[in-house]
Amino acid sequence: MESKRVLIADDAAFFRVALRDILKKGGYEVVGEATNGAEALEQAAALRPDIVILDVVMPVKNGLEAAREISQLKLPLKIVMCTSLGYEPIVEEAIKSGACAYIIKPLSETKVLNTLGSLGIVKSQP
Amino acid sequence: MDTSKYKALYLQETNEHISGIEKGLLTLEKDPAEGGAIDNLFRHYHSIKGMSASMGYDPLTKLAHAQEDLLDKVRSKKIALSPPIISTLLECLDSLKELVKKVEEDSPLDTDINPFLKMLASISEVRIENAAGAATAPRVSPQRETAVINVKEAFTANELKISNVMKVDGKVFDDLLTTVGDLFMVLSAFKPMTHASRSIEFKDGVHMLGKAINTIHKNILSARMLPIGDLTQSLPRIVRDICKASGKEVDLKIEGTEISLDRSILENLGSPLVHIIRNAVDHGIEPISERNSAGKLSVGTIKVKASIKRDRAIVEISDDGRGIDIEKIKKKAIAKGLSGDRVLAMSDKEAIKLICLPGLSTAETVTDTSGRGVGMDIVKELVEGIGGSLEIESTLGKGTKIILELPRTTSITKALVVSIGYEQFLVPISKIEKVKEVKTSDISGGVLELNGTEIPIISLGKTLGLEDSFDRDTYTILIVENTRPALGDKKLLGLKVDDFGDEIDAYIKPLVPPMSRLWGVSGIALMGDGKPVFLLDIAQIVSKSPHNNTLAAK
Repeated sequence: MESKRVLIADDAAFFRVALRDILKKGGYEVVGEATNGAEALEQAAALRPDIVILDVVMPVKNGLEAAREISQLKLPLKIVMCTSLGYEPIVEEAIKSGACAYIIKPLSETKVLNTLGSLGIVKSQP
Repeated sequence: MDTSKYKALYLQETNEHISGIEKGLLTLEKDPAEGGAIDNLFRHYHSIKGMSASMGYDPLTKLAHAQEDLLDKVRSKKIALSPPIISTLLECLDSLKELVKKVEEDSPLDTDINPFLKMLASISEVRIENAAGAATAPRVSPQRETAVINVKEAFTANELKISNVMKVDGKVFDDLLTTVGDLFMVLSAFKPMTHASRSIEFKDGVHMLGKAINTIHKNILSARMLPIGDLTQSLPRIVRDICKASGKEVDLKIEGTEISLDRSILENLGSPLVHIIRNAVDHGIEPISERNSAGKLSVGTIKVKASIKRDRAIVEISDDGRGIDIEKIKKKAIAKGLSGDRVLAMSDKEAIKLICLPGLSTAETVTDTSGRGVGMDIVKELVEGIGGSLEIESTLGKGTKIILELPRTTSITKALVVSIGYEQFLVPISKIEKVKEVKTSDISGGVLELNGTEIPIISLGKTLGLEDSFDRDTYTILIVENTRPALGDKKLLGLKVDDFGDEIDAYIKPLVPPMSRLWGVSGIALMGDGKPVFLLDIAQIVSKSPHNNTLAAK
C-alpha cells in the first residue's frame, strides 16, 4: 500500500524531528521539511504532498499566509495547522485560510495520528 | 525511550532563541522603533514555550508564555514598549537561562519563577488601566491545560539511536594533546637517525609516522577550536549592565567573531577581556557632560576586534574615551616609591606600561563595577598566563587601545633551535622575522646593515647572562620586531646567536614555581634525546634587559 506523503513546515527542528518520528510510526512518508512559510509554499508546489502540516508562527512567511497561498494553488492536498496553546482564535482564521484540521501543541502521537486519520484521505495509488 | 535526542535539539534551539532574545532586547533598548525586532522576539519566546511544553518543562513553559503574552501586547500596540519592560524582560531572561542550564545539567527545575511572573503581570496591569477598553488577550481554558500530554509518552519505544554529536569532557582533549606532544618528541628522536640511516624502509616509515602524528595533532587541535564569538556574545549584556550602573552610554562594536581559538585559551580570555572592558567603560569613557564639552558624541564607542597575525590571534580593545594621562601615571609611580630618575627618563611607551604595576590605577573615583582594585596588573598576569602578551597604546583625550596577542592553540609551538655556546634554546617562529647568517666583519659598531637599513644587534648570550660565545667567523642573527624603545625608532632588532638548527614542533610545558620566575624564558620542552630546553620569551628579552646589556660590538 502506498503511504501518504506529508510535507512538514516548522521553524523549530525540535518539532520537525518529533513530527517526523510520529509520522513514520503512523506509516506516513515525510517528503519534505520546510523551515518557514515561503519554503513550505515552494515545496508544496514542487513535491505535491497529500498533506501539509503548517506551524502558525514562523519567520519570513507565517503559517496562515502560507496556508492561504498553498490553497490558491488548487492542489489535491489537505492543510493541517499546528499551533501552540492559547491560539484557539486563530483556528477560525486558519479554516478561512484553507486549513481543514488543526493540532494543538504539545504534540503527541495520538493527537497527530488521530487528526491525520480523520482527514479521509483514501490510501490510493497515485 | 529516546528523549535524549529531543533534549539535545531542545537545548540547542532554546539556546539559540535565548541569544536571539538577548540581542533583540538590546536592539530595542537602543532603538525602540525597530519594529521587526518585536516580531522576532515574540517568535523566540513562542518557540521556547512550545518546545518546553512538549518536553514537560513546566516552569520554562510558564515563564516563556508570560513573556510571549507581554510581547504580544506590545506587538498589537496594547501597551507601549518602555525601558522598564525591557529591563524586566532581561531579568526574566536570566531566569530562563538558569532554568535551561538546569535542564542541561539534569537538575530539578526548582527556580522560583513566581516573582518573575508577578513582575510580568504587574507590567501588564499598568497597561490594562492605560489602554482602557482594549480587548483582553485570549485565556487558556483550564481544560486545555490539563489536556497537555507529556511529550515523553509520544516519543517512547521508537528505535534506539544515538546522536552524532558527542559531549566530551575537555580534559580528554588535554590528555590527547599531551600524548601527541610525547609522540612528537619520540619522532624528533627518530629524525636524526633517518639522516644517518641508509635504509629506505626506515626513512619512509619515520616519514609516514610523522605524517600520521601531524594529522592526529591537527584533528585534535581543530576539535578544540571555538569561535571567539562564543565568548563575546555575552559582552553586549555586560556592557549594558555596566553602563546602566555608571550612567554612561556606550556603543559596543565587535569584529572578527569567527576567529577561532583553543577552548582553554578562550576560557581563560573571558576574565581579562571583561576586566579590560569594565575599565574602558568606567575609566576610559567619560561621563556624557564631559564628552559633550570635549566635543565628542555623547555615546562612547568601544570596539573589540579579533584578527589573525601569523599563527597568533590579536584581540584589540579600543575606546574613544579620555585616554591615559602619562604624566599622572609617572607622578603616581614616584609617589608609590619608584625611583624618580628612572621614571622621568622613561619614554611614553615605557611609562604607559607602569599602569600594569600593582596599585597604579589612576581612576579619580572608585566605582561599583571595577572599583580601584581591578588593576591592569591582574589583567596582564592573566593574559601572560595563557601565553599571551599585552600592549597599551593611548592618546590623551582621544582614547586607549589594548592589544592582546594570544596563541591560537595550546602547547605545541613551532620553534627554531638555536645554540649559544654549549647551550640550546628554542625561539618561537612567530617572533622571528628573518634568520640571517653573517660574518663577524659584517657587524660593525653593533649594527648590521641589511638592504640599506641599519639593524641594531644585541647578543642573546649576554642578555641571558651567559658566558660570551666562542669567537667564531660566522654568527646567526635572528631578526625580530623591535619593541625596545631605548634602541630608538628602529623597527627591527637583531639577536646574535652562534648557530641555528631545525625548526621543530615543540610541546611546550609551562614552567612551575620557582622556575616560572626565571627571566627571559616562558616554557620548557623535552628534546628528542630527552634533554630539556627552554623556550625563550622574546618579547621580554627585547623589551628590557636586566643586565644593562650594551650593544654587542665585537
